Amino acid sequence: MTETARQNRIAMILVLLATVLFLAVCTMPLYYFNVTVHTQKSPNTFVGDEKYTETRAEVEQIAEGFRAEGMEAEIREEVTERTNSKGETTSLVTFTVEQTLAKNLWSFPGSSLSSAHIFRLLLVLVIIGGFAAMLGTRKSFGAAVRDLPKRDRRLRSITPYAAFVAAILVVVFVLANNVVFSRTLSLYQGGHLTEGKEEYYAALARFLMGSSAAENAESLLQHLSFEKSNMIWLLVPACVILLIAGLMLRYGQIKNTLLKMLLILFVVGVCLITLYPYYVMLITAFRSNQETTDMYFLHLLPTEWKWENLTDIVRKGVPRYLLNSVMVAGGATLIAMLCGIPAAYAMARMDFKGKKAFLGFVIMSQMFSPVVLLIGIAQLMSTLHLNDSVWGLMLINAAFNQAFAIWLLRGTFVAISPEMEQAALIDGCGTVGALTKVLLPVSAPGIVTALIFVFINSWNEYTISTVLISTASNRPITVGITQFSSFNMIEWQYLFAASLLATVPVVILFMAIEKHLTAGLTSGGVKG
Amino acid sequence: MKGIRTRHKWEPYVWLLPSILLIAIFVIFPILMVFRLSFSEISKSGVVGDFIGFQNYIDAVNLPAFKTVMLNTFWWVISVVGISTLLGFIIAMALNQKFHGRKIARSILVLPWATSLVIQASVWNYIIKYEYGNLNNVLLNTGVIDQAVNFRSSFRIEFLWECTVGIFVTIPFVTFCVLAGLQSIDNELYEAAIVDGAGFWQKLRMITIPLVKPALTVSTVLNIIYVFNSFPIIYTMTKGAPANQTDTMITYLYMLSFYDRKKGPATALSVIGFLILCLCAGLYMRFVMRGEEEA
Repeated sequence: MTETARQNRIAMILVLLATVLFLAVCTMPLYYFNVTVHTQKSPNTFVGDEKYTETRAEVEQIAEGFRAEGMEAEIREEVTERTNSKGETTSLVTFTVEQTLAKNLWSFPGSSLSSAHIFRLLLVLVIIGGFAAMLGTRKSFGAAVRDLPKRDRRLRSITPYAAFVAAILVVVFVLANNVVFSRTLSLYQGGHLTEGKEEYYAALARFLMGSSAAENAESLLQHLSFEKSNMIWLLVPACVILLIAGLMLRYGQIKNTLLKMLLILFVVGVCLITLYPYYVMLITAFRSNQETTDMYFLHLLPTEWKWENLTDIVRKGVPRYLLNSVMVAGGATLIAMLCGIPAAYAMARMDFKGKKAFLGFVIMSQMFSPVVLLIGIAQLMSTLHLNDSVWGLMLINAAFNQAFAIWLLRGTFVAISPEMEQAALIDGCGTVGALTKVLLPVSAPGIVTALIFVFINSWNEYTISTVLISTASNRPITVGITQFSSFNMIEWQYLFAASLLATVPVVILFMAIEKHLTAGLTSGGVKG
Repeated sequence: MKGIRTRHKWEPYVWLLPSILLIAIFVIFPILMVFRLSFSEISKSGVVGDFIGFQNYIDAVNLPAFKTVMLNTFWWVISVVGISTLLGFIIAMALNQKFHGRKIARSILVLPWATSLVIQASVWNYIIKYEYGNLNNVLLNTGVIDQAVNFRSSFRIEFLWECTVGIFVTIPFVTFCVLAGLQSIDNELYEAAIVDGAGFWQKLRMITIPLVKPALTVSTVLNIIYVFNSFPIIYTMTKGAPANQTDTMITYLYMLSFYDRKKGPATALSVIGFLILCLCAGLYMRFVMRGEEEA
């Protein structure tokens, strides 16, 4: 027997093992529910008297009926003592018939619970994965991986990916079940959640006791309690075994592709964490004020999208702040470019004494964020009568971004050969002409990068603006949004709706330049 | 010839003039201003008085929160820069591999860099709220925890959260600097190393780290400066409360000068901060200038 055939045989055994494990977990009872199926009260009785015995017998009969149908039924009695109007002490005896229902995973595919969708998908993936492995090896069992026919190669590729996604879905499925059975139930039972209660109970009752139970579901499930078994996690190793088998069949080895899948898993995880605050910002921006502070909120998205939040913030002056931001950032960019392009041009093309000193001067200025100089800047601005004005912010932002602008532009210019400018100079064009007619058009991408970078930095600036601006109508958006979070009352929905408006444009701009920017910041300048 | 000849010797300086003016007025002048103020008596209303020598510095060092604030600043810079550099490096290594959807991943991972810090801090402020914060909500809903966790039970934990947010927003800068460095490495180097039988760690130690070192140095030094100067995160999340226990130098000097009206010690602190930055700047300059000479 060849090496490949032996390996394929191991892989097929693994597929089988995965299937058996999967099926075994599916048939195990994993979720236990305690359901009250019948309640009967017997008022004004004493334990042991005639009325008590009568009621007890009735309840017993009902329980027997359940048992006859092959179900477990347990009778529980609860005694509460009471004093009636005549001063006699009597008891209220409450009899309940309880069932413990153990559910395995086969109860899911047919149910209308929301987590059932995930399980159906999971099941489909595993079946596809298993069958693809079978079909892909049927005709080419012992063949080496590189000699595989195209069809089999494709079929075999399916298995590892299906198993990979299935393994992730298992985790999602378990968490979704917690949401459906534990959290949602306790919120309804505690009265924290009322919307959609009937449908939820009906779906749950159908899941637990079949379609007949859906009618009086709410009374049946009022005292439902739920327990879960951790054996469900065995589905993960089942999927991983299938994954490994698939990799062996498709690639003849598992290491490289498994590493790549772990890499993708890592990147996806990091992306999800990065996106998380943006997701929170998005959903909170469109929720009602009451929902933003609701600790029993149970949805992924707002129950009702409040587009009014946007019109509300428009009334509260946000367009003015946005306009101020556009002016500050736009003006700062313009000034920074008008001063920066000539300087970068001289730095890149001309030889002069003190070139190094100027470079040092520029880099030094980059070291100081305006924050550490706050007091000096505030003093300077009040001397120039520029405090509390967008013009002052413009100049400050331009000055503190000068270093980066020169840095990026110089890197761009240096990377372009000076021959064309030299030719233009010989043709009688002055240095100004050489810059504007020859160099600027070819260095457009670099200039746009620097432009956008300065714009974004100025747009996002917060500290100087809080210190300098005192009039509400002069605030840029970063300061403007803080009006929604006063000490005693934070209007989260307005805060995040405004934040969203402030974030979206710059994020789009940033994505456009990201690639040029990092290259420019790290190497463009240093390489010189 | 590399470059172009100018007609007059003074011409390059004319080209530089606007830039020099801008920086001189709005960066250099405030520096001088702060220096002068730090040696002057300043009244609560901001009127500048006589020269009083080092009195403001003595006052600043004797402020009750001075030691706490300096320690906080130290831990803030070290933890945020250190951890974000490490994580950013790992993420950059991952992004440097070829896989489907790499472009999308890059676009997503750059997001925190493009977002205003005050907005990021506000969102995290909401996420970790005890009563209704989204993190508690999600963890409770999915049954990961049974009882809401108070993520802000003490100021130490709050400070840790601030550091976490700092790390979160700093990672993209490191990632993309390192990534730019990684992408400039010639693939043949790795191929040669594989032929020589080098493993993952050897390749990392002998090729990757030496070659991304310049990018890593630039990003680390710049990050030290940014993180040191960072104001919005702490100001938005705790405002330094309680009693300046979560303040760093920057937020503390803001509070001192604009809330407590102690402008004198605040300017002294500014100068101290300025000198610390100068030290970093000097190191950075040395590195950059060396890079210039090598080129």
